[in-house]
Amino acid sequence: MIKDILVSSLVLVGTLSLYISLQWAEEPRAVIFPKVVLMIMAVLSALLLVQSLLIKKAATQGKQKPFPFQRALLCFLMIVAYLFIMESVGFYLSSFLFFVAISFILGRGDMDIRKALTRVGVSVIFMAVLFVLFNKLLLVQTPKGFLF
Amino acid sequence: MSEFLQYFPHALTVTNIITLILGTIGGLILGATPGLSPTMAVALLVPFTFHMNAATGLILLGAVYTSTVAGGAISAILINIPGAPANIATLLDGHPMAKQGKSQAALYICFISSLIGGLFGMVIMVFFTPPLAEIALEFGASEMFWIAIFGITVMAGLSSGSILKGLIGGMFGLLISTIGYSPLLGVPRFVFLDVLTGGVAIVPALIGLFAIPQVFSLVETLGSHIEAPDYKPKRGVLLRTLIENLKMVKALSIGSIAGTIIGVIPGAGGQVAGLIAYDQTRKFSKHPESFGTGNPEGVAAAESANNAMVGPSLIPLLTLSVPGSPTAAVLLGGLLIHGLFPGPDLFLNNADVTYTFIASLVLGQFAMCVFGIAMSRYSYMVMNVPNLHMIAAVTILAVFGTYSVQNSFDDVIVMFALGTLMYVGRKFGFSPAPVVLGIILGPIAENNYLKGKLIAETDVGMFAYFFTGTINNIIILLCAASIAYSVYGEIRAHRKAASKEKQP
Repeated sequence: MIKDILVSSLVLVGTLSLYISLQWAEEPRAVIFPKVVLMIMAVLSALLLVQSLLIKKAATQGKQKPFPFQRALLCFLMIVAYLFIMESVGFYLSSFLFFVAISFILGRGDMDIRKALTRVGVSVIFMAVLFVLFNKLLLVQTPKGFLF
Repeated sequence: MSEFLQYFPHALTVTNIITLILGTIGGLILGATPGLSPTMAVALLVPFTFHMNAATGLILLGAVYTSTVAGGAISAILINIPGAPANIATLLDGHPMAKQGKSQAALYICFISSLIGGLFGMVIMVFFTPPLAEIALEFGASEMFWIAIFGITVMAGLSSGSILKGLIGGMFGLLISTIGYSPLLGVPRFVFLDVLTGGVAIVPALIGLFAIPQVFSLVETLGSHIEAPDYKPKRGVLLRTLIENLKMVKALSIGSIAGTIIGVIPGAGGQVAGLIAYDQTRKFSKHPESFGTGNPEGVAAAESANNAMVGPSLIPLLTLSVPGSPTAAVLLGGLLIHGLFPGPDLFLNNADVTYTFIASLVLGQFAMCVFGIAMSRYSYMVMNVPNLHMIAAVTILAVFGTYSVQNSFDDVIVMFALGTLMYVGRKFGFSPAPVVLGIILGPIAENNYLKGKLIAETDVGMFAYFFTGTINNIIILLCAASIAYSVYGEIRAHRKAASKEKQP
């Protein structure tokens, strides 16, 4: 319920802010449709807010699993880093590094020499298949780096 | 029908057959892999079809769409986890059969019943789609506007626990579709960052909204253990099962008919088709008590229904741009990137591509059955793919697929940003399907709204133009019915939960 109050308030504030920002549009006719959509969104989010304040939802049965915030944040940061280095390092090399990093950092709790070698091997095979299929056979363009 | 037969040989070229087989095998593997949804699988494939000719690209998407539904039954039967919502009814009897050591028979029944149901649904689609597309010729700007809104209301009710959240998601999608330059006046809107100058294209949105939340969900489930399935293939089971399966006339008929009827109704989906067919077969059975304990008729009814639904679910999609399921919404994106617009244009000006696609869907049913049976002995292997590898592979394919369409790194940033936002949205009860449909149908809604407004202002006025006329009123009533049905469902669920809470 608190989640619904929070999200409906956020959507309401967001839609009203966007609606106000459209008052300074270069050409009023170009923003007619977005304005209609924003008005409907504002009404819907207000209804959601009222609903979440009035209707008490049944409590969730049982104990919920804790959200692995640290793991999710780590994955998010690794994807950001992957995208950041891609334009300079190139798609294939950065993707290989990303594959290895995910396997080793997120899977660090369950690691031995055999598993480490398997993970590197899978990364190499996956990237080799992508490289041959898309770079050599289908000639699809990817961000170029200093190696590929 | 004559056009269908005329273009049927086009689906039989070497390239198209190879594409069909690869799509079927890939779809079966993706469908059987727990943690990968069929919608995400089709979304990831859309950009790869961009480099193919339209017919071949659509054949690939169609084959994956068909076979992921059947492939989802593998994990439902072997490990009690449905690969797709459409396979929920399959596990009710499929998994008990597996527990009794009859995994092989259950899987064979699943693929044979899927073929029978799927073919029935395809025949209905072949006969009814072209004449229904002609009705769309009568549609003007106001009708097209309401059709776009109808599509969003259907998807809003289908894919979210809350109709309000579904509608907010749909409106958010419409809003995203307006980012960039106005199509009629060329004026920028909501361009707060440079990456948004070109607007949000369909492919980055599709991939971001479906694949990135899936990546984070896989991160959440890291370390969870899936019990290894007990599956030992034996000789002679296929023929015995085939004979036994063909004797299940009642279950197959109920499944095929229920699946076809429910498939045509936009938004009802395979999950409903499977459960209704299962329930009706049980009611008509002489031994209803045996359902849920490993009755093969339960598997046959559920699987024939969810595959019979595939063909008819494309009827509203191909005629009116109203998809019957989230996967069909992604397929609509695939049609649009090849410049194919649903409606009469598809059957008059692009008849070769459209009928080749439909013919390949019919052939795809056979391919799904043959390869499903052949691969079932190895199917347990895909369940052992570690989540770590899937996280990396899905992310890399998402980045690659997004970049390859327009060679634009901005698209990759938009894809990741939308995906991350959707993941957070999912935590608050929002679903990606209405957002995607809003983005796809946004330009149709906006252009027809503005066209309609111009006509209305010089003619009869806004209210008379948009709210009168038989077709307008029918579509408005359908929108209202769709919302009312979802509200009724929510109230019923709330009452049920409240009465459960009161019980000591």
